[in-house]
Amino acid sequence: MMTRHTGAPNPHALIIGAGIAGMQAALDIANSGYEVTLVEKLPSIGGHMAQLSETFPTLDCAQCILTPRTVEVGHHPNIHLITYAEVEDIQGEVGHFRARIRRRAAGVNWDICTGCGVCIEKCPTRVESDFDMGLGRRKAIYTLSPQAVPNKPIIDKARCRFFTQGKCRVCEKFCPTGAIAYDQEDALFEIEAGAVILATGYDLYDVTRLGEYGAGQVPDVISGLAFERLLSASGPTAGKIRRPSDGREPKEVVFVQCAGSRDPEKAMPYCSTICCMYTAKHAMLYRHRVPNGQAYVFYIDIRTAGRRYEEFLQRAVEEDRVLYLRGKVSKIFRDGDKVVVWGADTLSGQQVEIAADMVVLATAIVPRPETRRLAELLGIDVDAHGFLQEVNPNLEPVSTRRPGVFIAGAAVGPRDIPETVAQASAAAAKVLALFARWQAVPEVVHAGEN
Amino acid sequence: MPAKTKAHRIGLFVCHCGLNIAGTVDIPQVLDAFKDAPAVLVALDYKYMCSEPGQELIRRKIAEEKLDGIVVAACSPTMHEATFRRNAESAGLNPYRVEIANIREQVSWVHAKDPDAATRKAIEVIRTIIEKVRYDEELLPFTLPVVRRALVIGGGIAGIQAALDIAEAGFPVLLVEREAQLGGRMAQLSGTYLNFESAGDLLAQKLDALRARPEITVLTESEVESLNGYVGNFTVRIRRRGEDQVQEASVGAIVVATGFDLYPMKQLPEYGAGAVPDVISGLEMEALLRPDGPTGGRVLRPSDGRPPKEVVFVQCAGSRDPEHAMPYCSKICCMYTAKQARLFCRQSPDGQAYVFYIDIRSGGKGAEEFVQAAMEEERVLYLRGKVSKIFRDGDKVIVWGADTLSGQQVEIAADLVVLATAVVPRADARDLAQRLRVGTDAHGFFNEAHPKLRPVESLTAGIYLAGAAQGPKDIPETLSQASAAAAKVLSLFSRHELVQEPTIAWVDPELCSACQLCVPACPYEARRPHPWKPLVTVNAALCQGCGACATVCPNKASKLRNYTPEQVLAMVDVLFAPAKAQEGA
Ligand SMILES: Cc1cc2nc3c(=O)[nH]c(=O)nc-3n(C[C@H](O)[C@H](O)[C@H](O)COP(=O)(O)OP(=O)(O)OC[C@H]3O[C@@H](n4cnc5c(N)ncnc54)[C@H](O)[C@@H]3O)c2cc1C
Ligand SMILES: Cc1cc2nc3c(=O)[nH]c(=O)nc-3n(C[C@H](O)[C@H](O)[C@H](O)COP(=O)(O)OP(=O)(O)OC[C@H]3O[C@@H](n4cnc5c(N)ncnc54)[C@H](O)[C@@H]3O)c2cc1C
Ligand code: SF4
Ligand code: SF4
Ligand code: SF4
Ligand code: SF4
Ligand code: SF4
Repeated sequence: MMTRHTGAPNPHALIIGAGIAGMQAALDIANSGYEVTLVEKLPSIGGHMAQLSETFPTLDCAQCILTPRTVEVGHHPNIHLITYAEVEDIQGEVGHFRARIRRRAAGVNWDICTGCGVCIEKCPTRVESDFDMGLGRRKAIYTLSPQAVPNKPIIDKARCRFFTQGKCRVCEKFCPTGAIAYDQEDALFEIEAGAVILATGYDLYDVTRLGEYGAGQVPDVISGLAFERLLSASGPTAGKIRRPSDGREPKEVVFVQCAGSRDPEKAMPYCSTICCMYTAKHAMLYRHRVPNGQAYVFYIDIRTAGRRYEEFLQRAVEEDRVLYLRGKVSKIFRDGDKVVVWGADTLSGQQVEIAADMVVLATAIVPRPETRRLAELLGIDVDAHGFLQEVNPNLEPVSTRRPGVFIAGAAVGPRDIPETVAQASAAAAKVLALFARWQAVPEVVHAGEN
Repeated sequence: MPAKTKAHRIGLFVCHCGLNIAGTVDIPQVLDAFKDAPAVLVALDYKYMCSEPGQELIRRKIAEEKLDGIVVAACSPTMHEATFRRNAESAGLNPYRVEIANIREQVSWVHAKDPDAATRKAIEVIRTIIEKVRYDEELLPFTLPVVRRALVIGGGIAGIQAALDIAEAGFPVLLVEREAQLGGRMAQLSGTYLNFESAGDLLAQKLDALRARPEITVLTESEVESLNGYVGNFTVRIRRRGEDQVQEASVGAIVVATGFDLYPMKQLPEYGAGAVPDVISGLEMEALLRPDGPTGGRVLRPSDGRPPKEVVFVQCAGSRDPEHAMPYCSKICCMYTAKQARLFCRQSPDGQAYVFYIDIRSGGKGAEEFVQAAMEEERVLYLRGKVSKIFRDGDKVIVWGADTLSGQQVEIAADLVVLATAVVPRADARDLAQRLRVGTDAHGFFNEAHPKLRPVESLTAGIYLAGAAQGPKDIPETLSQASAAAAKVLSLFSRHELVQEPTIAWVDPELCSACQLCVPACPYEARRPHPWKPLVTVNAALCQGCGACATVCPNKASKLRNYTPEQVLAMVDVLFAPAKAQEGA
């Protein structure tokens, strides 16, 4: 049965997820003169890219190339940014979607907050920072980073003394604008949109499920994303390589690829496609920071496919003398202040044991659990793991079963930034073509004329 | 009219960039150096000037102090100049009175080991830029009309998809293809990985969609002979093969989608390529597997037309070999080799396929599983190692290789050998790039504007890239990139006019002697002798403000707005004699 709509289709896009994929799609659509509502679950935008140090293969600093984009999104007159929010419900169809969005109570009235940061400075409660992958600390009232867009803090109610013990109110006392609002409630918005782009990104395989690698028990076994925070100039160690257990500079670091990937029996069967490249990057950057250190990489295959990537790997091997060992790691455990790695070197056919100072696991890229829920709401498919399903990758790689619903970025499958950005622009093109047809069709000049 | 009054209420904003700058440069000392500088009303610092509070600080100070010029001492202007200019404009300041003093890339990063020298240099850089701002004119950007019609060069799957997306939004497209047929390499393929769908059927669906679009005009057997103009207003000359007449068209945007070639077989003599008939390329194998191919989709040996029993696939033929061939990885050949091996095994149940590889590169959704299935279901034997020699022996093709996992040498007497030859740029890609004035890399792949965040734009405004012309890609990635290029075109076409930077060259008629030295010096063909007056004129739409003309002009008649000789000399003066210049100010 057809649902009838009275009004004209609405050339307004709803984009869910404001990582680099959602931001790029939003900018392409907004720069063409259409309105976009961009919904982000976290308090500020940028997604995983905001956590990265430098990016392969050119090693430009992630924050430096990202900030112009986040600032542009934050200021764009056509982009309505709703952060710290989630889409609860979506109804309707192409041209006429209606979404209910819940913005969580931040405990701060963002309309009057100037982002001065005094509250953060004064807050007495320090807790582990998720953004820093547990390697650094933040306050109970916080922003994800100093460059956050929007640069407005939220109160972590599970940790704040006032919320847990009824006493404190320090931030309220110091806030020069009276923006602290402990009793703030969730806000609900209803928005209408003609098209939807899902760009909810990825998660990382939970390292603590990799028991044989000591993850979760041995403090100096960390994930690749945690290593990004150590490398990051704005990270918890200001870019110095320090191991979590005792803050010492590690002299031997073992990188283990495919942690949780390519393992159909125990973990994910697929290859996460980006971790060979970022491991090469990690090993290379580690050697730049610790010139007398030694980096080892355990791999099954080195997957540095594509333009400039193989050359990048060769640089890591030849210039930075990273030692690549082909084989699987069987066990990682603590021995005194060392982390011992047992592995096989399938090329020499020998067992190897390395007494390392730190181990970095290139953990698998996995879909986010909420992506599945959103897909169900929108009536589109996910694959067996929970990645969004293209209608046909060889025909329409950003389209779904539902007209007007498009997909982009790592929510569709593991991919690096350039591929994510191209795909996001592709999703924008589909939306732009739809909107253009709904609008007065531009005067058609026949091709071939002068 | 641009204001001629010098800026005399200048604000200086020094960014810490976290520790990127503040870790090396002594910020308080820098601020102190400008405490009493003439015309500098405020000198302030902030942790991240590009962040919202930093920008807010600047806006507030512009309003409070009625600033008529600002200097932001921060990272390279390529990063944030546009951000700071937009921000200042929103506070009512002319954006061309905003200058960046680069104290990160050119100071703190390069002098990290010598903080004192870095601090001194930061002060010097800022001092000269303040001097520049004082002479900056308040300029107004101007607008140019946009021709809302696109040219797509290359009618492979990339070009077809880009044309479709642009046309679907209602804009006319000219699709120029060199060959007689559209489809490019995809028309030569059998099935596609990951699901063996027929490439021909997929392509046919796209071609049907293309034919249904009245906005698309296809010109086959045609090539772009020359290009003039600039974003929004290109003039292109297209020549059809065998015809004298050249068609001229004006277009506002261009998508380059000329695809790829394969590494020539004859350059792989150690693999018997070219000499042994039963050593074929991956693309030739596609022809044997294609239902509408010469053998009706049956794999038969070229030498005697018999079906082979043992087939050896050699990966990385011409790739990943910086000494002899291409240094890069061709990205698609691991996957298509698995596809071909599986298709072969499926049609020859008693056949055996071997694959020699260095690494198996099957990244992303479903790809690893596809290769695993080749090993488990079709029993394809993967051997990790390089092939050293391939030669003919009777009606067999002998393959010598190493198995690095068992450490042994292997010899296989095969019936057919398939080389996964490297993806290389089209032979004429560099020529075309020159005609279009866009860049290529050392190999001849078209260069994108930024390898991460601007993957489908070239460095020339209005020219975009799609598909394998930019680097090896499979069909799904090609499609995404082609649609992405279309999105850029649609954004451009959403406007009737384009805003052009006013920081371009002009000729002072009083000084110009019409020597015309500047005309050939201009790389953008922006300069022309005046039809009757004794001087040279500048086409404002073409001028990119590069300054080449200004450096050759012996009369200092050719000047760049906001980079005038007076300005540059004043900057040099304060650098070498700061005290004196400031007294004179
Ligand atoms: C350790 C590591 C290093 C890397 N290094 C590089 C590198 O050097 N170069 C490179 O090219 N790539 C690198 N990558 C890959 C890069 O991180 C990804 O390509 C990129 O971040 C994908 O962007 P995205 O927007 O698709 O996803 P994400 O960055 O995950 O963004 C998704 C966004 O959606 C939001 N979201 C999720 N669910 C919801 C919801 N229900 N409602 C609203 N919002 C939601 C999330 O909060 C997030 O902000 C690296 C990855 C890792 C793990
Ligand atoms: C053996 C083999 C097997 C493959 N199998 C698969 C597979 O199973 N799955 C998959 O996803 N991918 C596969 N691919 C990759 C696939 O072929 C490419 O992704 C795709 O063809 C790229 O399309 P394109 O339009 O960028 O380039 P092309 O297909 O090369 O098209 C470019 C077009 O531009 C035209 N052209 C070139 N120069 C000019 C000029 N100067 N003026 C005008 N026109 C010009 C050409 O004639 C051509 O029509 C395979 C490739 C090979 C070699
Ligand atoms: S009330 Fe909570 S957030 Fe505010 S200062 Fe106290 S602990 Fe921190
Ligand atoms: S102190 Fe008040 S105004 Fe300042 S950041 Fe905190 S909530 Fe916002
Ligand atoms: S990209 Fe490399 S490290 Fe990551 S899963 Fe694939 S093979 Fe393993
Ligand atoms: S994709 Fe595979 S076969 Fe092709 S060059 Fe890369 S590693 Fe070699
Ligand atoms: S500034 Fe450059 S582009 Fe402009 S006219 Fe002079 S030489 Fe040509």
